[in-house]
Formats: sequence, structure tokens, C-alpha cells
Amino acid sequence: MGDIETFAGDLQTFASTALVTSEADTLRNYAVDGILPRFVVTPTNVEQVGHIVALANQHGLSLLARGGGSRMSVGGLPEQIDVLLETNRLTRILEHEAPDLTCHVEAGLTMAALQARLAQKGQWLALDPPDAAQATIGGLLASNASGPKRLRYGSARDLVIGLHVVQANGELSRSGGRVVKNVAGYDLNKLYIGSLGTLGIIVDANFKLHPLPIAERTLLLTFTNAGDAMHMVIALLGSLLTPSAIELIDSGAASDMSDFFGVHLPTNGYTLAVNFEGGAVTIDRQLDETRQLARKHAALMVDDLAGESQSHFWEAIREHTQGSVTCKVAILVSQVAPYLQTVEQVCRRHDLEAAILAHAGNGILFIELRPSDATPRLIEAIAELRSYAKEARGSLIVERCPVDLKRRINVWGEPGSDFFLMQRLKNQFDPNGTFVKGRFVGGL
Amino acid sequence: MSITALPPTTTPLFERISESKKEDVVRDLSALLGAKYVLHTSYDLMLYEYDASIDRCTPDIVVMPASTEDVAAIVKIAASYNTPVVPRGAGTGLSGGAIPVYGGIVIVFTRMNRILEIDYDNLRAVVQPGLVNLHLSNALNPQGFYYVPDPSSQRSCTIGGNAGENAGGPHTLIYGVTTNHVLGLEIVTPEGKIVQVGGWTQDTPGYDLTGLLIGSEGTLCIVTKIIVRIVHMPEAVKTMVAVFDTMDDASNTVSEIIASGVIPAAIEMMDQMILQAVEADTHAGYPMDAAAVLLMEAEGLREGVAEQVEQIVAVCNKYHARAVRIAANETERQLFWAGRKNAFGAVGRISPEFYVQDGVVPRTRLPYVLRRVSEICASYGLRVGNVFHAGDGNLHPLILFDSHIPGEIERVRKAGHEILEVCAEAGGTITGEHGVGIEKQEEMALIFNEVDLRVMQQVRQAWNPHQLFNPGKLFPMPGRCADIKQL
Ligand SMILES: Cc1cc2nc3c(=O)[nH]c(=O)nc-3n(C[C@H](O)[C@H](O)[C@H](O)COP(=O)(O)OP(=O)(O)OC[C@H]3O[C@@H](n4cnc5c(N)ncnc54)[C@H](O)[C@@H]3O)c2cc1C
Repeated sequence: MGDIETFAGDLQTFASTALVTSEADTLRNYAVDGILPRFVVTPTNVEQVGHIVALANQHGLSLLARGGGSRMSVGGLPEQIDVLLETNRLTRILEHEAPDLTCHVEAGLTMAALQARLAQKGQWLALDPPDAAQATIGGLLASNASGPKRLRYGSARDLVIGLHVVQANGELSRSGGRVVKNVAGYDLNKLYIGSLGTLGIIVDANFKLHPLPIAERTLLLTFTNAGDAMHMVIALLGSLLTPSAIELIDSGAASDMSDFFGVHLPTNGYTLAVNFEGGAVTIDRQLDETRQLARKHAALMVDDLAGESQSHFWEAIREHTQGSVTCKVAILVSQVAPYLQTVEQVCRRHDLEAAILAHAGNGILFIELRPSDATPRLIEAIAELRSYAKEARGSLIVERCPVDLKRRINVWGEPGSDFFLMQRLKNQFDPNGTFVKGRFVGGL
Repeated sequence: MSITALPPTTTPLFERISESKKEDVVRDLSALLGAKYVLHTSYDLMLYEYDASIDRCTPDIVVMPASTEDVAAIVKIAASYNTPVVPRGAGTGLSGGAIPVYGGIVIVFTRMNRILEIDYDNLRAVVQPGLVNLHLSNALNPQGFYYVPDPSSQRSCTIGGNAGENAGGPHTLIYGVTTNHVLGLEIVTPEGKIVQVGGWTQDTPGYDLTGLLIGSEGTLCIVTKIIVRIVHMPEAVKTMVAVFDTMDDASNTVSEIIASGVIPAAIEMMDQMILQAVEADTHAGYPMDAAAVLLMEAEGLREGVAEQVEQIVAVCNKYHARAVRIAANETERQLFWAGRKNAFGAVGRISPEFYVQDGVVPRTRLPYVLRRVSEICASYGLRVGNVFHAGDGNLHPLILFDSHIPGEIERVRKAGHEILEVCAEAGGTITGEHGVGIEKQEEMALIFNEVDLRVMQQVRQAWNPHQLFNPGKLFPMPGRCADIKQL
């Protein structure tokens, strides 16, 4: 493998203020799926990131970036990690052009810190992924994290307007810019988002921002069966109403929410949480019409949340998607109800239990499977669930699971017919394999 | 010659095809498609030598495939003769994207213009690339739905061309541009392979190839199918025209509306020159003596729209709007928009030629940049009008000229370049929706350095290494087709 001693020496010369550690105790805290890095390097500025990546490249070492560490377990098992580059010192807010509703921030800033700053001017970055206190901007973008409000605001691809990315040879390159509309050259922002550090290290980002909603409210409705609940969702989506989030919670997830978060929902049937934002008058009307629709779909009104209880509820929803074995399924909205039945059958067949939360309006399901140590049964169940998802024009990825299971499954599933094009991109961007392999689709 | 400076001529990427080779290619293509769908006489080709930009160059052959398989077979034939391929929608592009600078084969999608599927439950439609943008919304409207991106050229431009350019439009201010509405594509690669990218659902595993391909201007792949998002039509729409005595007041109104967080569906600006042209043409009722008008639209639920209109009117008044008129009914609303959407045509009536620029700046910089635009044009003795997507900060200065006046083209070129320099310095970009094509190859250097450009070229290298598809575009390139004509 690469020459680690000269790397360390060169690091002293080119990035002397970067923190470097190779102490076994510390390294253990940075293990990814049980794989320990040989070095953890914490640069204090973007220039140093360039030097570190360039040195790793020159010395034939493999490098992986880490933000807050909240989503390191996403993806397949990493191959060797020589250098773990920690971005959490890159925390500057370079600009917040409030009147333009844009900002420019470094990648190591946590989401919570950014939102707190933006809120001072009545704005926010319209992404609501889990773990805002720990997760960094860079990590969220690299893993394309999102939350319930993507129904209204879209995901990272709809909000990023520019990125600076350190390339495999250490050079810094820009894509996009500071303005909300831009078609100059290829839209590389899209390529980097969700690429899990396989093409470059995101060091700063420009975003389009939104004003904080004037008000918001959430209706909780329960249904005895998934079919009614999803008909309601389809009716909502095809109506004049403009919900910001529609979350479906099954009984398993409902009992988790009461056990872990003190949010009490009916634990039989399905709960639908419908969130509206805007002015008071429009919200009232939308709540009314949602209630009417709900009646037509045999729903029971459970609650109407505002204020603290509402924030607490949505926080519980966001954090719940972080179990031990979490499958993320994306399918057509019209297929969600039949798919939920399938999950039930598959679980029964393999003696497993499921707790499911879904961004129902987007057709995205987070399925928590238990017990997490039932490896052989989980393997079969995941394979079956994946093939049903494919039939429903969708996909299943395993977002989190114990290493033991990860060794025996393909968390991404088999790559599609477009994989050769992805490989070619990877070869162009990272010809020497500087960025740690194994974690991304097809082992990229 | 083109209106933009040509890069230095060194070895061209492709030689012009010889007559005998052309005969062979035509024979192969005719065997595939039928002679009727293979055009090759200079008379037939003339229509395809230009788009809505100012450059031109004649293709050698134009083909009209009926299916994805046809496209794949055409590409294989082209590759076997090493003849470049340029996809073309309606040819309304403003940066020369569909112009075959090395000649070769132009693929036209007029026969691939169907809506393949509409799924109202899942809010998706699948269309072929030759479908005219407006025809999709027309098909959806009776059910109460529509397709959001609405370039002003939507009566003629195609969804394939929109995907090629990542087109925007007046209503992309809150809802986003083409890339925000496309989930998946079927494409043909330079090897002639048919590949699906993205899909019907969100977050497909792997790199976001759909996102990468939208706006790639035909330089990476040929799009043969597009999966788009459709949305419900709004309950209420209110269209307003606000009249201002100074450009500064109008621009400040725009940035204050945005800053206040009230984001309307559209904010378009027209200055005096445009107003006069539009009035002479459309009689939309715009005041001819105003310095600028803002055409704004609020849409959504009735109650929300009423609130928005109130807030917008208040900002307009704060910046001394002389009048704010709200369209009383659908006829008046259509008339307001007709004025805007026909603006380019209207200007065509008062000037023999005009050149449309397409820069973007942070919205707060609009007053400064608009002032600079008029100073720059004045310094070259050129007339300029502005009609643009002000809410996005997306400028479209229209520079009027007459190519018969010696030196005029050169002055237009310089003025255009200086305007883009100002946009770049103000933190903006050189194109918001019209693309780079051949028009702005040099200007890419105003916003991207060598490393940035090299990284982008890696993408082309990965997918289209021999530049079989749309060669000589996007990046500064040596050697182009000898017969790119003077205007
Ligand atoms: C009066 C007028 C108003 C306009 N208003 C707007 C506006 O508001 N917003 C806006 O964004 N643009 C506007 N435009 C520009 C133009 O209409 C858009 O760029 C439009 O998207 C081009 O579509 P087209 O079908 O004419 O494509 P073309 O001009 O034929 O092609 C455009 C590009 O796409 C590529 N392409 C075409 N088809 C395919 C395919 N199947 N696969 C891969 N690549 C393909 C071409 O190679 C070319 O590079 C306007 C133009 C005019 C003339």
C-alpha cells in the first residue's frame, strides 16, 4: 500500500496547522463499519484540504472525508481507509446575502448551526434531515440526506446553487455559482450531491434559501388500513391544497415514537400527519378541506398540532429514520399501500417485525426491520422486499445495518444499466482511486 | 463568422464529409428510415442551418427517426463513418446549440413527438423529445394539471430542447426550471446504446445522471424519452402590471419583494424601449412613456393570492409606482402576457436585427447592473431594451443592430461581452437559461477557471470522448466549420 511515513512528513510541511493523529484510541472512534483509518487529519482551512488530498494522491493512499459522522454507515463496506479527513473545522459562514435569499457556507458547519444563523434573519435552508446538531453540510450533501418537508421544497439537488469541491489531485474546482439560475456548463452540483465522496471532497456550498414559514400546523389522522390512508394521500396530492409534508406512520413506528420520544399515537392502524405552512387564513382553509377529505376516506381525527408539540412531533419523525436496520424504499405513491401489505407478508414469512415511516407524498419509505441480529432472515427478507420495490418501478437501499449483515448483502442492490456510465465518470474524476472505494453503488 | 469571437482556428475536430462518403451515409440511413426521412439536398437542408441565435452552418444530412431504436441505429451508422451527430428540437435555441458546426447529421425529432403516458395518481408524464412544450400542458389542462417550465417560446420549443438547455421561463421563479421537473430519461449514448437513467421515483441509487444530463446541450447523449413531474393548476391567479418612472424604482421593487419573502409565481420586467415595441405590436395596454413596468403574477389558493397581491402592491407603492393594474379577467391577463411573450417578435419589427443576452445577477444588484448595461450600450452607440425574468435576476438585454453598418457587429459583440463581464463581477453568471452553445464558449472563462473547465471536460471525456455528439460546443475549441456564415 501507499507510503504512510513520507505522507506524514509531507503533511508537516504543507499543512502544518492541520491536526494529525494516528493514536489507536482515537482512531477507534473514527472506525467506519469496523474499519479503522490509519490517520485522522483535521484541516483548519480549505487550502489544507487541497494539500492533504494531493499528498494522499501522490503517495497512493486512500482518503475518506467525514463531517459530523452521523451518516458514515451509509453505503457498502469501505475498502482500506488510509486517511480520514475530518471537515469539522471548516465552519465559516462565508456569506448570508439575506435580501437575495442565498448563502455560502463551509462544509464542516453543522446544519443546526447554519439554521440558527439564518433564523436570525427569518430564513432557513429548506432541508430537514435527521441529526441536525451533528450532521454537517458536507456530509448531508454527500449522502443526499433529506426529511419530510422535501414534499414542498425538494431535496438538496433543488437547493444547492454552487459548490467548491477538492478534486482527487488536490485542485479546487467550482461548479455552479451564487445565483439562483445558472446553466453555464455541466451541472456538476447534481453529480456531487449523493456521490458519497467518491468524486471529490465538498468544501463549501452556496444555497438558495427560503423565508421561515409565517405559521404552520399539523393534522394527525388515523386509518384502519393503508389503502384508505394512501387514497387520502393521492387525493391530497391531486388537489388544490399544498401540504409541506405528508408522513405515514405504521403501528410499529407509532409505538417506537411513544417509547423513545414520548409522542403518543394510536398503535393500531396507520397515522397520517399532514403539515401546512403559510399565512393563518390559508392554513385554516387547508385544514378544513383536509378534514373533509379525511372524512371521505374513513379517517379518524386525532389531533391538530401547533407550537411546541408540533416541533416535537416532527423531530421525533426525523430522528426515527435512524434505526439499526433501516431500508429506504422509493416507489410510486400509488404502490405504497400494496407495498405495505407486502412488507407485512414478508415479515410474517421470515418472522421479523417492521416499523415503517414514509414520506408518503414522495413515495419514500423507511422500513426498520427487527430483530437486527436475525441476519439470515434479514438477508432473505431484504432480497424479497427489493424485488417487489423494483416491480413497483422503484428501488430499495439499506441505509443502516450491522456490519455483520452488511458483509453479506449489497446495500445498494445490483447496479442498473447505466452503471457503466457511472464507472466512466469515476475513472475520469478519480483515476488513481484516491477516494476510498467500496461504499458507493457497485463498489465505486 | 459569428457574432461572438471565434476561437483561433487550428486543426478542426472533424473534416467536412466528402461527397462520396455522404452518398454512402445517405444510402445507409435511407435503408434504415426510408428515403423520405433522410434529407440531403441543399434546398432541403437550408431550414436546418440555423437556430434562433445568429450563427449558422449547414448540416450534410438531416434525419427524422420514428423511435428510440431508429436513433440508436442512426448513431451507430454515424459512428461507423465518423460523422458528427447533432440533436435538434425546434431550433429556437439562442446560443447555437443545434447548429452543426462541423456539418454531419442533424437528428430532428418531429416524428417523436408523442405523450407516451400520463399518470395522474403519481403525477408523472412520459414524453418523447419532439413534443412541443405547450402541447403537454394543453393535454393536461382539461384534468386540471399542467407542466410547469414555460419558456416564452413554449408554443414552438420542444421538451427535448428544454432538457438540452435546462430551460426556464417566467413561472420558474418559485417552481424551478426544467431540471427540477425531470425525474428520468431514456438516452442513446455515442456507442448507440439505449440506457435508462433516473426513473419514475426519487433518489434512484447511484450518481444523479439525470441532473447531470439536463442542460448538457446535446454534448453527452441524445435524449429519447423524458419522465416529468406534473402539478395541479392553481385555484386562483392574479396578474398585475406595475408602472414605474425610473428603472431603479422597478429594480428595487423586485429585490424588496424577494427580500420580504413573498415569492410570487412570476416577476418579469420590461423597459421603455420594449414597452414601445410591444405596444406597437400587441396593444396590450402598456404605458409607452413609463421607464419600466413589472409584470407579476401571484397564484395559489384564493386567500393566499389575495394576501400576496396586497403585499406586492404595498412594495410597488413604496417605490413610487405610478400605477398598479390588476387584470380584471382572463382576457386581460392573457393580453398582459401576450405583450411579454411576443416581446422578441415585437422588437423584430422595429429593428432589422437584435442580439439577446442572457446574464444572471444577484437580485439586489439589479439596479447597478441595469445601469451598467445601458452605459455600456450607449458607449458603443447601440440601442438596448430589457425584457427579462427579474425575479430570478435573469437579464435579457436585447441589443438592436444593423449588420449593414460597418463595424456594428463588432461593437455588438464587444458590448455583449462587457455586459457579461459586469454580470460575472457582480457575482452572477453568463447564462441563466439559453445555454453556452457556440455563443459563449469564450465567456465560460469569465466565471470558471482552468481547473473548473477541465473538470467539466472530464465529463465529456467520459461520455462522448470523440465528440461524436454536438462537437465543438460549450468549451473554447479550435477549428470550426469553414462555412459558419457572416450574418
Ligand atoms: C422568442 C423566444 C423566447 C424564448 N424564451 C425562453 C425562455 O423564456 N426561457 C428559456 O429557457 N429559453 C427561452 N428561449 C430559448 C429556447 O426556446 C430554449 O432554449 C428551448 O429550450 C430550446 O428548445 P428547442 O426545441 O428549440 O431546442 P433546439 O434549439 O433545437 O436545441 C437546443 C439544444 O438542445 C439540444 N437538444 C435538442 N433535442 C435534444 C435531444 N433530444 N437530446 C439531446 N439534446 C437535444 C440541441 O442539440 C441544442 O444543443 C426562447 C427563444 C425564443 C426564440
